[in-house]
Amino acid sequence: MYDLELNRVGKTYSDGTVAVADFDLRVGKGEFVAFLGPSGCGKSTTLRMIAGFEEITNGDILIKGKNVSSIPPERRPTSMIFQNYALFPHMSVRQNIGFGLDVKHLSKTEKDSKVDRIMDMFGLTPFADRKADKLSGGQRQRIALARGLVVEPDILLLDEPLGALDANLRRVIQNELKLLQRELGITFVFVTHAQSEALGLSDRIVVMNRGRVEQIGTPHEVYANPKTEFVARFIGSNAIIEGQNLSIADGIGAVDTAFGRMRGRPAETVRAGEGVLVAIPAEAMRISRRGAADALPAENRLNGTIAMRHAVGSVQHFQIDLDGRQRVDVETSTDNRDLMQLAVGDAVTVDCPSENVTLVARG
Amino acid sequence: MESRVLKPVLAVYCAAFILFLYGPMIVLAILSFQGAGGGPQFPIIEWSTYWYQHLLGLTPPGRITQLPIGDALLRSLTLAFMTTVVSTVLGVMTAQGFRTRFKGSGIVFYLVILGMIVPGVLVGLGMALFSNMAGVARAWWGTAFVLHVVYTFPFAFLVMLAILNRFDRSVEEASLSLGVSPAQTFRRVTFPMIFPGVLSAMLFSFTLSYDEFSRTLFTSGRELTLPLTIYGTFSVEIYPNIFAFGVLTTLFSFTLLAIYALLMLRAVRKGQAFKGQEAEA
Repeated sequence: MYDLELNRVGKTYSDGTVAVADFDLRVGKGEFVAFLGPSGCGKSTTLRMIAGFEEITNGDILIKGKNVSSIPPERRPTSMIFQNYALFPHMSVRQNIGFGLDVKHLSKTEKDSKVDRIMDMFGLTPFADRKADKLSGGQRQRIALARGLVVEPDILLLDEPLGALDANLRRVIQNELKLLQRELGITFVFVTHAQSEALGLSDRIVVMNRGRVEQIGTPHEVYANPKTEFVARFIGSNAIIEGQNLSIADGIGAVDTAFGRMRGRPAETVRAGEGVLVAIPAEAMRISRRGAADALPAENRLNGTIAMRHAVGSVQHFQIDLDGRQRVDVETSTDNRDLMQLAVGDAVTVDCPSENVTLVARG
Repeated sequence: MESRVLKPVLAVYCAAFILFLYGPMIVLAILSFQGAGGGPQFPIIEWSTYWYQHLLGLTPPGRITQLPIGDALLRSLTLAFMTTVVSTVLGVMTAQGFRTRFKGSGIVFYLVILGMIVPGVLVGLGMALFSNMAGVARAWWGTAFVLHVVYTFPFAFLVMLAILNRFDRSVEEASLSLGVSPAQTFRRVTFPMIFPGVLSAMLFSFTLSYDEFSRTLFTSGRELTLPLTIYGTFSVEIYPNIFAFGVLTTLFSFTLLAIYALLMLRAVRKGQAFKGQEAEA
């Protein structure tokens, strides 16, 4: 039995706008699933449908095998964490955390011990009697998590929970979240528009665009094997080159492009004879001075000149101008001395092994 | 350049505004300390608290009868209290209803607002005719009370609507998602957070009802409210005891305002976390 099942879930507003369509997903117990997509893609709406705040107009939602589609939010075994924390301003930290237990039939000692335990776990004990507004963003986020977890939900729903935090704190809470989820074994469904969060935290990612699921897979799968043009453009930084007239042999596809013949692994959705897009991850490309690499066996060669270069930490970014027709991004390590001597305007060759290249359908 | 002209003009305007606002009150307050033999005008023949004593029935009986305000005051306070309770409850509930769009919400909105736009004399007269036709006796606690609610409810509604418009829905959703029922959520989360607005709605309802005149004139029946009683005494002859009463009732209003301000201050202090959250989100 799955912890969470979405069967062709959809939402259409009364004016005909489709917010979400045909969402199919099965989540196992203790799994960490991220909904990833640009704003307005329907990821938050789907999360709110699971929580019961949005009505669904198609399909069914099952939690632990029970159809909850028409059950109000307060009777679903889910807890939701909000981006703005949504703490109760008129209550102390302890009251906030214990709030959900008040309506459960628990003895006072039982309730107190649960609240104490979770406050201790989140390091909130010193602030127990303070008002939430006197605390920092990170602490408020911890209160929200403690409040949501103390009621022991089957599924914790997190709506961009790290969005309001600064970059450093985000990393800290992100790690805490991952550890916490492993420790508790509770199923997490996490909504984010930041691919680094989704890639770093989740067991599986649901990439969404315009109300539809583009791809469901492990972080590595969606990163290395994008199924659609949208995923190829949205995840990572891929160079995208148009190709025509696909031919497939031994699981490797070849297409004609403006830069010659290119080869890569075809996505499931493409058929021989079609026009496709060649997606090359920026960090999978090798870069060398024009002429220097000719002796090496190289696939998917592209000739160009360096248009721009800058380093961020240990990553060296190049932007290569391919004869004025297109620019592609290449990422290498700053360890490579030869590459560090390349300057803007130098003629270079870029290549990439075909196993790292994906051929995806257009649109 | 502009401000050199504009500033003095605004200053004069402001001074005039304050003068017209407080001038009449100050004149009344001064005249309330008129001596026993003096009339309702300057000069003050002698400074005294005679008219205050007269008002409270502490002076020996004389030619001028005591103002018959005791019962009327009680009636007005009771009526204002009843109106406050009903209008505020209705206002909160209606505003709560308007948080989600529903079919015909526009029409319902204007129907509610109509109550404060329609001229009081017309509504009062209409109600008097209607109660005659229906065979209902007019009374301050019946026909007048209904009109007071019709009149003050839109104010309470508008205040609550403004408050709820800025209300962060996710706080209620957080409560629901923790398994707390909608009724409990309203009682323990929503209401404490909108309490400052509820106080304002109550204040509006109370003060508007307390000195309502035109609607009450036609509908209160034989037993009069305070504004009607005071107006009634004008038709005989005016003595400074009415000024003394004016001073006392103004002081009463100030006391109400002070209580309101204190409660508000407390509520706002409690609510600061809420604003902090909004600013950060």
